Amino acid sequence: MVKMTMIARVTDGLPLAEGLDDGRDLADAEMYKQQVKALFKNLSKGHNEASRMSIETGPYVFHYIIEGRVCYLTMCDRAYPKKLAFQYLEDLKNEFERVNGAQIETAARPYAFIKFDTFIQKTKKLYLDTRTQRNIAKLNDELYEVHQIMTRNVQEVLGVGEKLDQVSQMSSRLTSESRIYADKARDLNRQALIRKWAPVAIVLGVVFLLFWGKTKLW
Amino acid sequence: MGTENPGRPNFPMRPSFTPFASAPPTVRPFSPSGPGTGSESSNFRPIPPGAPPTMTPFSAAGPSPPVRFSDPSVPSAPIASVPPSGAPYQRFPTPPFPSAAQAPPNRAPPMGQPPFQPPAGQISVPPPFFRPQTQVLPVPMGSPPQNANFPPSSMNVPQPPTDSSLSGPRPNFQPPFPGYPSKQPAVSQAPSPFPAQQGSFMPPPASPSPFPSQQGSYGPPPVSATLGYQSRDQMQHPGSAPPTGGVQRLTEDFSSLSVQSIPGTNDPGLDNRSLPRPLDGDVVPSSFLEMYPMNCDPRYLRLTTAAIPNSQSLVARWHLPLGAVVCPLAEAPEGEEVPVINFASTGIIRCRRCRTYVNPYVTFTDAGRKWRCNICSLLNDVPGEYFANLDATGRRIDLDQRPELIKGSVEFVAPTEYMVRPPMPPLYFFLIDVSISAVRSGMIEVVAETIRSCLDELPGFPRTQIGFITYDSTVHFYNMKSSLTQPQMMVVSDLDDIFVPLPDDLLVNFSESRNVVETFLDSLPSMFQDNVNVESAFGPALKAAFMVMSQLGGKLLIFQNSLPSLGVGRLKLRGDDLRVYGTDEEHILRLPEDPFYKQMAADLTKYQIGVNIYAFSDKYTDIASLGTLAKYTGGQVYYYPSFRSGIHGDKLRHELARDLTRETAWEAVMRIRCGKGIRFTSYHGNFMLRSTDLLALPTVDCDKAYAMQLSLEETLLTTQTVYFQVALLYTASCGERRIRVYTAAAPVVTDLGEMYRQADTGAIFSLFSRLAIEKTLTGKLEDARNSLQLMLVKALREYRNLYSVQHRLGARMIYPESLKFLCLYGLALFKSVPLKGGYADVQLDERCAAGFTMMALPVKKLLKLLYPSLIRIDEYLLKPSAQADDFKNIMKRLPLVSENLDSRGLYIYDDGFRFVIWFGRMVSPDIAKNLLGPDFAAELSRVTLTEHDNEMSRRLMKILKKLRESDPSYYQLPYLVRQGEQPREGLLLLVNLIEDQMGGTTGYANWITLIHRQVQQN
Repeated sequence: MVKMTMIARVTDGLPLAEGLDDGRDLADAEMYKQQVKALFKNLSKGHNEASRMSIETGPYVFHYIIEGRVCYLTMCDRAYPKKLAFQYLEDLKNEFERVNGAQIETAARPYAFIKFDTFIQKTKKLYLDTRTQRNIAKLNDELYEVHQIMTRNVQEVLGVGEKLDQVSQMSSRLTSESRIYADKARDLNRQALIRKWAPVAIVLGVVFLLFWGKTKLW
Repeated sequence: MGTENPGRPNFPMRPSFTPFASAPPTVRPFSPSGPGTGSESSNFRPIPPGAPPTMTPFSAAGPSPPVRFSDPSVPSAPIASVPPSGAPYQRFPTPPFPSAAQAPPNRAPPMGQPPFQPPAGQISVPPPFFRPQTQVLPVPMGSPPQNANFPPSSMNVPQPPTDSSLSGPRPNFQPPFPGYPSKQPAVSQAPSPFPAQQGSFMPPPASPSPFPSQQGSYGPPPVSATLGYQSRDQMQHPGSAPPTGGVQRLTEDFSSLSVQSIPGTNDPGLDNRSLPRPLDGDVVPSSFLEMYPMNCDPRYLRLTTAAIPNSQSLVARWHLPLGAVVCPLAEAPEGEEVPVINFASTGIIRCRRCRTYVNPYVTFTDAGRKWRCNICSLLNDVPGEYFANLDATGRRIDLDQRPELIKGSVEFVAPTEYMVRPPMPPLYFFLIDVSISAVRSGMIEVVAETIRSCLDELPGFPRTQIGFITYDSTVHFYNMKSSLTQPQMMVVSDLDDIFVPLPDDLLVNFSESRNVVETFLDSLPSMFQDNVNVESAFGPALKAAFMVMSQLGGKLLIFQNSLPSLGVGRLKLRGDDLRVYGTDEEHILRLPEDPFYKQMAADLTKYQIGVNIYAFSDKYTDIASLGTLAKYTGGQVYYYPSFRSGIHGDKLRHELARDLTRETAWEAVMRIRCGKGIRFTSYHGNFMLRSTDLLALPTVDCDKAYAMQLSLEETLLTTQTVYFQVALLYTASCGERRIRVYTAAAPVVTDLGEMYRQADTGAIFSLFSRLAIEKTLTGKLEDARNSLQLMLVKALREYRNLYSVQHRLGARMIYPESLKFLCLYGLALFKSVPLKGGYADVQLDERCAAGFTMMALPVKKLLKLLYPSLIRIDEYLLKPSAQADDFKNIMKRLPLVSENLDSRGLYIYDDGFRFVIWFGRMVSPDIAKNLLGPDFAAELSRVTLTEHDNEMSRRLMKILKKLRESDPSYYQLPYLVRQGEQPREGLLLLVNLIEDQMGGTTGYANWITLIHRQVQQN
């Protein structure tokens, strides 16, 4: 059963539409919404992700498809057939592109296509019951292949971004540290040089002074 | 303060105060006509007069004028003043009378002025201290033979107190006195129409050109020096008219009213016609906008005074409420719509510290890289996308493309950070009582029909959601699934544990389920036609509606026809017990009885549900409890006592249609920010306060206004200007989240007179009425009225003290021009439905409903309600041909006095909520016949006004239509009444003629006298 539906632009993570009464009877809807937002953020950073993916989170699964720089995402129970979920997203995608296709790139405000929620609502109802004739027919239809769609865990996915961030952070730290190290080394080198030759120079200086004084005095 | 009244010692009518205090009923301002009279509070009983110490100078001066006059010790320097800075002054030194002219040039600047000067530069009204000289100047002209003596005397004109503290100028005050008597001979030649006693007051010199008529109107007897002084103001010098006229106009800053009363009579001796009346309706003071042209329009934000006091002591002396009235979504006329700005990726520019939105008063510095917040003066960085270079004057070069930097009212498109969820769709949920009384009154029919006719105009297509619940002793749900052909009804009779029988489809998308909804509405009236159920399970039904709506929020419209009698929230017939009036228990009647209502209101607000209550019963329905739901959810109470569809149908139809179709803002919050040092402390209106200063408004529309009071946090404000910014974050019906921002600036002043000059009566009364209504919820009606009266008196007294010394006001009543209606509106407020009388005057439900309504009314509407218009129309109806401009002519409002009702005339009384059409006894039968049709002779209470096929009737309808169009928020239902038709005439019209004295209430003239007497007392 579809719990939540969101449509966002991939380029900047701007939410474009959302199912109407999402998160009704869902205990921690807020948490899942946060996860979805984090996911969109990740996508907008341009990590190359597959255009279709399922991500497990707690007792639910996020399914999303990315098409034409728009990400269509839904959250379902784990038991809900994957095939149906992706069918549902395809339906949304087709309608969304048909209605709003031209304005997607120019949308400037969040939820610019909130009117689409009525369609989401309607479509959702069609997919509510997995045992309706229509849905069984769809399940049996082999045209649409979903087996290769990767399934990952949400921690993993959100983690990737985090890890990459960490790596780049570490490397940048490394660069700055090494620069400091080089500076320090140069400095030490100079000091060592001074320490090595300073006594000799002083002795010589004294000798010269003495010589100079001698010639002058005598 | 003993200084206020120089004329006091001579007041012959003084003793009559004491009798007055023991209150002959006629003088009593507002005694309830019910049995509660005994509880008359003594709050405004005058204190027996005691001679204030300050009188001494006067009496001393009286007997020995010549001595003082020639007294060399009279200081001339402090008195004379001509600061060359003030523009009005430039004119001054060149009056055409040579004798006087010799005085001005050598005047020294007045002392004590500096604090005032900065604002003076900007303010068009000349400061008060200039006046005295101008008044003196003419004096010599009035008595030519004494010219030689006079220049010095004019030098002696009392120096007005620059900081309005009265003790300062007193020494200066004496000298002019002596100068006066010497003029007496000339003066006394004039015929003296007034009796010699002090109680005679002079006509006001308020108008700029008062000269012609007032010349002879003073007649101070030589014996009384003080009186001579009072009259000096009036003595308008025939010869000097042109020049002084200019000066006078520039310097006059208060108005006055002569109040005269003859001891032992109740005749106030006031000329009724000369009293100020707001016949032009609400006049918004324009000086504010002129001063700061970038301020938002006053229709959105009005301050009670456009001059903010700089110190707490000044606040304490300004006895009127200090604050603002905000009508966040006021309807803008064509072409003045608020511009919508989308910052898109830049994000909304706000101050880092105080979160102020960017506005016209911020300043850009550092070549445009930084901006300084005008409210907390923090220096903020300008984001890269928003950067623009500055021109030579320091203004941004892209100013004309940035409406937010030139306009005080703008709207920003909110980015995602301002949303906790996607914008909600507009949602209307109807909770309809279908018990027998509702069926009988025909309410269901009208409601169903109206909703059906409005379906197409509901805002927010195609997202709009709609749902219905009906209830009597059970709760009925309706499944409106789009695939059905007709709605399915589900009955839940378990009231103790109410549940929602269906998870979905009780609330449906209207565009999809349109057919089902229409079928439902068509069949609703017939469905319950034969219902004989008398119970009302209001509480459980409300809970059910709450459960259905809680996912989305929205607007809940409740149509309630009887007292809730079943389940949770059941109410008792606690009724209107007359014994309770006048006791400490009185206010409890006006509070919700069951905590369920307040708790429910809090929950509803939390889930963004706004409630509008429509109540119809002819019996007690405890509006006080029901209205609480509306009060805390930003809603509104509509009350149609003894509703009959035949009579009140039109009103309900119009108001419900308006409620459904007007532009509504959803899930809104509002906050008002202001500069450092001041703070908004209390908020008044229909809303729920979420944190200390955040108003939660589940639904807002153009007919709601909110008032707030401010206070000074610091003892002294050092800034020159304070800024206010109102921000309303809301979801528009189209599904956009927006932020409406209004910015206004106001000067900080050090002078009380300036505050009074910039006062805004409308805003003051908006606040006043809310304060008074709130007071009736915690105490007796009597107390609320008394505290109101006390405030009026204190304010006027303070004002009087400002000017009493240098103007020798005597017994004149003075008030600032800006507050000339203060007394009248005060009186009107006393006589308004929520506050007037006691038990018998207004039914409890009506009183509570009016209270809830007035708490939300915008300023203009409130003033109309307080002082309704009365228009005579028979002449227009009889005119053979009507032109368009005629129409304006007939819209002339008349004072609300019964004397104005000519028995040959036909009048319309319009208070914004209803019309009363009054037929004079001798109005020509033709008119009546034409307007009322064949049954014109019948009892008018049974006649409804319909359009007949004749010119006259059409014209009347046109007038009514025009009047209604001027303000569509409520529908005025016409009531017809014939002169002498008691008791209807009394109830409908006469009791509303607020200037009249009616059963235990004061008339306008008496009221003025009463206030005036109290002002004079200390």
